[in-house]
Amino acid sequence: MSRGQFDDDEILGKAYDATLVRRLGVFVAPYWRRLALATALMFGGAAVELAPPFLVKQAIDGPIAARDPAGVLPLFGLYAAALLAAFGFRYGQTYIVQSVGQQVMVDIRTRIFSHIQRMSLAFFDRNPVGRLITRLTNDVDALNEFITQGTVALLGDLVRLLFIVITMLLLNWRLALISFIMFPAVMLASSVFQRIMRGVYRRVRQRIARINAFLNEQISGVLVTQLFNREEQSRIRFAELSRDYLAAQLESNRTFAVFFPLINFLSVTALALLLYFGGQAVLADVATLGMLVAFIQYTDQAFQPIRQIAERYNTFQSAMASAERVFRVLDTPATVVDPEHPRALPSPVRGEITFENVWFTYDAEAAGPDGSGLADTDDRWVLRGISFTIPAGQAVAVVGATGAGKTSLVSLMARFYDIQRGSIKLDGIDIRELRQAELRRHVSAVPQDPVCFSGSIASNIRLHDESISDEQVRRAAEIARAAPFIERLPGGYEYEVRERGSNLSVGQRQLLAFARAIAFNPEVLLILDEATSSVDTETEALMQEALERLIQGRTSIVIAHRLSTIRHVDRILVLHKGRLVEDGSHEELLAKRGYYYRLYQLQFAEAGELRTEN
Amino acid sequence: MDQLRRLWPFVRRYRRRLLIGALCALAATAVAAMIPQIVRFAVDDLNTRGVVLDRLVQYGGLLLLAALVEGVLRYGQRTQIIGTSHLIDFDMREALFAKLLTLDQGFFTTMHTGDLMTRVTNDLSAVRMFLGPGVSNLLGSTLLLLTAATLMFLTNPMLAAIVVLLLPMVAVLFVVIGGRMRAIFRKVQDQFGEISTRAQENFSGIRTIKAYAQEDAEIRVFREANERYRALNLRYVLLSGMLWPIIGLMLGVIGAFVLLIGGRMVAAGEMTVGELVLFNAYLAQLAWPVIALGWTVDLYQQGAASLVRISEVLQRRPAIASPPDAPRDFVVRGEVEFRNVGLRFSHNRSNGNSSGHHTRASSPADHPLVSGAPEWVLRHISFRVPQGSSLGIVGATGAGKTTLVNLLARVRDPDEGQVLVDGHDVRTLPLDALRRGIGYVPQDTFLFSVPIRENVTFGRPDATEDQIAHALAVSRLVNDVEQFPDGIDTLIGERGVTLSGGQKQRTAIARAILRNPAILILDDALSSVDTHTAAEILAGLRSIMKGRTSIIIAQRIATVKDADQIIVLHNGEIVERGTHRELLDLGGRYAEMYRRELLRAELEDE
Ligand SMILES: Nc1ncnc2c1ncn2[C@@H]1O[C@H](COP(=O)(O)OP(=O)(O)OP(=O)(O)O)[C@@H](O)[C@H]1O
Ligand SMILES: Nc1ncnc2c1ncn2[C@@H]1O[C@H](COP(=O)(O)OP(=O)(O)OP(=O)(O)O)[C@@H](O)[C@H]1O
Ligand SMILES: [Mg+2]
Ligand SMILES: [Mg+2]
Repeated sequence: MSRGQFDDDEILGKAYDATLVRRLGVFVAPYWRRLALATALMFGGAAVELAPPFLVKQAIDGPIAARDPAGVLPLFGLYAAALLAAFGFRYGQTYIVQSVGQQVMVDIRTRIFSHIQRMSLAFFDRNPVGRLITRLTNDVDALNEFITQGTVALLGDLVRLLFIVITMLLLNWRLALISFIMFPAVMLASSVFQRIMRGVYRRVRQRIARINAFLNEQISGVLVTQLFNREEQSRIRFAELSRDYLAAQLESNRTFAVFFPLINFLSVTALALLLYFGGQAVLADVATLGMLVAFIQYTDQAFQPIRQIAERYNTFQSAMASAERVFRVLDTPATVVDPEHPRALPSPVRGEITFENVWFTYDAEAAGPDGSGLADTDDRWVLRGISFTIPAGQAVAVVGATGAGKTSLVSLMARFYDIQRGSIKLDGIDIRELRQAELRRHVSAVPQDPVCFSGSIASNIRLHDESISDEQVRRAAEIARAAPFIERLPGGYEYEVRERGSNLSVGQRQLLAFARAIAFNPEVLLILDEATSSVDTETEALMQEALERLIQGRTSIVIAHRLSTIRHVDRILVLHKGRLVEDGSHEELLAKRGYYYRLYQLQFAEAGELRTEN
Repeated sequence: MDQLRRLWPFVRRYRRRLLIGALCALAATAVAAMIPQIVRFAVDDLNTRGVVLDRLVQYGGLLLLAALVEGVLRYGQRTQIIGTSHLIDFDMREALFAKLLTLDQGFFTTMHTGDLMTRVTNDLSAVRMFLGPGVSNLLGSTLLLLTAATLMFLTNPMLAAIVVLLLPMVAVLFVVIGGRMRAIFRKVQDQFGEISTRAQENFSGIRTIKAYAQEDAEIRVFREANERYRALNLRYVLLSGMLWPIIGLMLGVIGAFVLLIGGRMVAAGEMTVGELVLFNAYLAQLAWPVIALGWTVDLYQQGAASLVRISEVLQRRPAIASPPDAPRDFVVRGEVEFRNVGLRFSHNRSNGNSSGHHTRASSPADHPLVSGAPEWVLRHISFRVPQGSSLGIVGATGAGKTTLVNLLARVRDPDEGQVLVDGHDVRTLPLDALRRGIGYVPQDTFLFSVPIRENVTFGRPDATEDQIAHALAVSRLVNDVEQFPDGIDTLIGERGVTLSGGQKQRTAIARAILRNPAILILDDALSSVDTHTAAEILAGLRSIMKGRTSIIIAQRIATVKDADQIIVLHNGEIVERGTHRELLDLGGRYAEMYRRELLRAELEDE
């Protein structure tokens, strides 16, 4: 068990924004051509947008002042042309940037998803599903802002600002300088707010992730909540989480409520100064009135990109808060990894399995890489010095009390977790030297908790493996004895299974999982972890027959509590508190009069009791 | 607009805040409109050169004052209106969650968890964006538009008329484009729900996916879902991306006309240059609100589409609920009776999606029921369990055992017949009292990722240490718990993933018996527990269940043979009933099951 605290969405420390931006840049880089095009369009747009106020100035100072209405016409034509061009540029830019943003989101999502797929089960033991989903959905969405707001648009604002500044300087540098007086104040205000917003955004992200994690669990377990009258408590807890989120949101809102009016105030201040000093200039004939009017417009225009930049900077902060979380997932190394130079299994694979002094704990961190972190007597060891060899083709049963470590033992064979000490070998090769996909191709396991996915019955059997034909699906179902119930379902193999198989009985789900294992036709190793525990005895007996035929020539490992279901096996391993206490055939173990004997006696006594009653 | 009515119950509480916000917006707009006015006077004064320095100081001071007042008012507007949107967001989230808690299994089997989560988070924020920034903008922009229009009329009615005549073109565009946008956005959100669902199912079923080395295939499918999402989004962007620029274009066109006609007027001496400048300034003032309107249209379309998705949950009537006239202080004593009970599930057929495995996230309405009456899963079920006695249920896989006991706890209601507890139809009893009287160990164990203690005390948060210890002892969980690092306070993974199969089941048993229920239901609750431990648990249960009703479903005769009454279910009907003895004498299915078990024991015996 992952002892102690589970990973939480704690607020992360100071972020290195520059690093984050660079790392995000890697995702954007492949699309630089399109972004460059968008930038070009944006430049065009910014240039064209300068024309209208200039044309107005020309018109007022020129034909209008000269009372020459006809002279306005050519200017009008130019004006209209500029507008059309601006429309084209803007639309093109928006569309391209958005499409790149969408594409990058697909890339990032797939990347996160792929990364999570490669994580070992220990990762999933620790991370609530809802949190992982938050990374993929809400957090990636926030990253989209980085692209739509942080790349071309930001550049665009800067460029527009630059253009306006240059134009103003060229037209009349004195008036221009007056307009710029407020810029430093704007920057100061922005940087203060940015510091505040960073903390706020992190809290928002953290809290939405908590809501999602809670929500996911609550929806999955809603029936239990209802049956145990816990609706009220769940609601209270949810309200707490939701209130935390609300608090962060309101905080962010208040900050904005101060920030934007402040920037606006600064812009009007600039206007007032312009009027005051510019007015004097006009009076002193240093500037024309048309010039002053144009400057009033330019100042207004200059503050637009400034406002935008300030706002973008803030959304940017939000994206950074998400980026941190996303990269934290991407930076979590997979603990079970493929070797750099994988070895190939000899072909054909025979299926000999060897455990050599295997020690295993779920608390890999405490144990350290070589397991020296835990004393041999520590309770946290789930398996303690297990050694055995299963020759190819042997059928083996693992028995033991609940919690003895049976499921853990077999999950190690599929390398769901890595062991701390000792080695596990398939045909003499340490399974850590094989590629996981290669290893698992030879292993088929029916887990203790059969999982069904939403989709048809057929797709539940073949998963996404299209090489398994409908015919094979059918055959597997027949062998697994799942066919009778499937055929009675409306739609048969096309019957729609709901999430987690909620519209099937538990026994039916086990039959499906069994059929799946058969359909995947493992070459050597078949593992059944209580695969028939919820199936009725009649079906079970039939499955048993099928199984006996199936395991011919394959190594198989069966875990079962009902000893009657393991009578076909060649050999029995008895686990007790993580140790292999007995190992031998049915007869040998009975003769030993040890743990197995007692277990057997118990079931025998039960059966005997039944018989004497008769 | 129809969707907006559904928002009213949530909005109503905050009328005052919204009113204050609106007043702030109104005042702020009025003040904002003064700013160009001041500029105009200044320019006109300059033009006529009748201005002196201290007049300029006055103008500057006025501007600053106006800006200050506007800033304060805007602060009010934002904190009130957008703040309210966050409050409404909170209320709706709570309402959604509360609703989810009341909904029945019929609903949850048709929905996907990932999609539901999307509705509670993503869709809700789309609605909030409309309610907050959207409404705030709408308000501000409308006011600004109105004042600007009025002022324009005052300045020059002729020019103003041209502007006002041209503006509706923009509105028409909004409506046309907006409608399309909403339709697409609904699809976008559905697809987003699909992505979330894909991820949700994948992560929950990761053990199976890894066992069959399906990671690459899963990645492919996930990528495909994302590509579809991208394609839909692009279709949306194709329209929404047009809103802004097109407004810019429209305004520009209007500006051009103003220039053209205004220029002529000035030339003809019908208008001063200052007036034309003023007019232009007002026109520039229009730009922002009109653009903001375009944005609001965007937000509205998204919000409305999302609101429909939210309403599908909020408006849903729980199929299982307490009747309004239920007796108040009802306490279950434990007599159970089924009278001619029948039940059938309505079945949906898979869409035959070529990608197999997964079908699209779907709203219930998307799935037309397969025509033809669904088959009965249970039919003609009648039996009586007197208070304090026990009932064993056996039957083949899929015979309907779980469905049958679910009827008792009202997980579902029967389609015909009656289920009675203490002589009352369960549908007439208060739901919480009924369930309080039942300790249910479902076949499908679900534990929460909280410490074991909280899981065990789940149905009885006020249990004493002694009671907990007793429950742990009876469920034989003590030894395991002792080995855990933090003992009973050890945190477990989601769904109990960090426990062994048997540990999970025993935790669920402890949880049920701690409730000290009048009726205990064990649905195949010992399937993952070894025989030895199972026998101990059964013995423990027998002593604590004295005088209480128990219903035990099992696949093994040994588990049910001591029951006062045993029924055998087959294809949804009771085919045999009686005590262990009687059933053996009957020589039917039960006897056959028994022989099969015996035979095995004997085989092993050899
Ligand atoms: N993912 C996990 N993380 C941490 N601890 C775990 C995890 N899975 C199992 N354990 C612990 O390891 C021990 C052995 O569990 P395992 O599932 O191997 O038992 P088992 O023999 O299969 O029992 P059962 O018959 O009940 O299924 C138990 O104490 C359990 O709590
Ligand atoms: N939500 C549902 N929607 C549609 N059909 C369902 C639903 N739940 C169960 N069924 C069907 O009803 C039948 C009875 O299911 P039930 O779970 O009651 O069986 P069971 O007797 O408990 O079987 P098991 O021994 O496998 O647990 C099965 O054929 C199953 O497929
Ligand atoms: Mg197990
Ligand atoms: Mg069942």
